[in-house]
Amino acid sequence: MATNKNQAVIDYLITCPTILNSPLYFNFINAKDDTNQFFTDATDVYTNKNYIDGSVEKIYTFTIITFKSAADIAVVKLPGHENENLSDMTDVQNLIEWIAEQNELKNFPNFGEDCEIEEISTTTEEPKFEGIDEQTSPPLAVYSTSIQIRYIDFSKLIWR
Amino acid sequence: MAVAPINLPAHQRAERKLLITVAEWTEGSGSSTPVREILGRRTEDSSIDYNADIETTTDILGINYTDINRTQPQQDFDPFLVLGGSQLAAKLNDIRRRNAISELDQFTVYIITAFIGDATSGYAAEKHTGCTIAYNSIGGDSNVNFPISVYYSNNITTGTVDKLSDDFVFTPD
Repeated sequence: MATNKNQAVIDYLITCPTILNSPLYFNFINAKDDTNQFFTDATDVYTNKNYIDGSVEKIYTFTIITFKSAADIAVVKLPGHENENLSDMTDVQNLIEWIAEQNELKNFPNFGEDCEIEEISTTTEEPKFEGIDEQTSPPLAVYSTSIQIRYIDFSKLIWR
Repeated sequence: MAVAPINLPAHQRAERKLLITVAEWTEGSGSSTPVREILGRRTEDSSIDYNADIETTTDILGINYTDINRTQPQQDFDPFLVLGGSQLAAKLNDIRRRNAISELDQFTVYIITAFIGDATSGYAAEKHTGCTIAYNSIGGDSNVNFPISVYYSNNITTGTVDKLSDDFVFTPD
């Protein structure tokens, strides 16, 4: 039976302190401060690379949306003053740093014996600021981080 | 001997993975167990070019007569990425480091046409002994590419292999 890649990625992500310390939702939006939402993306099969031995290089992509309460306080240069919005952005950035670190360590999700992961990476160097949700109290800043996993699928090999 | 049929449903195309190239060699003079490795991991496209030497003459009636004097089959694998566990990459890199180019002609290469035959009767194969596998360059961008060319000897024994894995047994016709 094929490995459930979504479950494998969730099992992997919850080892990340940034994710572990905040509620994580799967394909669901719970717009509250400090929550993460895991959204699956559809990767076009035309991006697959077919190799002559029957193996196929594929890309699995997903996006993490993070909500952080936003403060309408100007950024000021006062000693010891920390702007909440800047600080929250750093929190979200930690996920990107963690993904890069895991890639260096070759620590990947488990996609099963027929798949070999080559690389996990974020598609951007920093989270994308999607805007402010002002319908909530307090207003929420919305950040997104897209992550892609490049792997080789060996399930169609005939040479064993 | 009758020509073996293509073992596919009518009009079904043969998948590229059914045409398999396997390199074989022995390590050291005392070893009798051959090392084998399928070629084409992470290669998207590779064909055997026969490089036929063709001579065509036309008589006074305008009729063409074409002779093929010889073929010099060659197959390129580009990219041939250096992958963990690849014994052939290790072997060729060792030769490259020593510039021992005379050792490049010690390979036996099998072409297995897995669309002919089956697991019961064996898969059609041809064995070329005394082939040369040459490395063409080494480098690349994000991964080390070590593209190679296989020069087939045309010293051919036809036969079958009993299975599609490195430990196959080749049986001559």
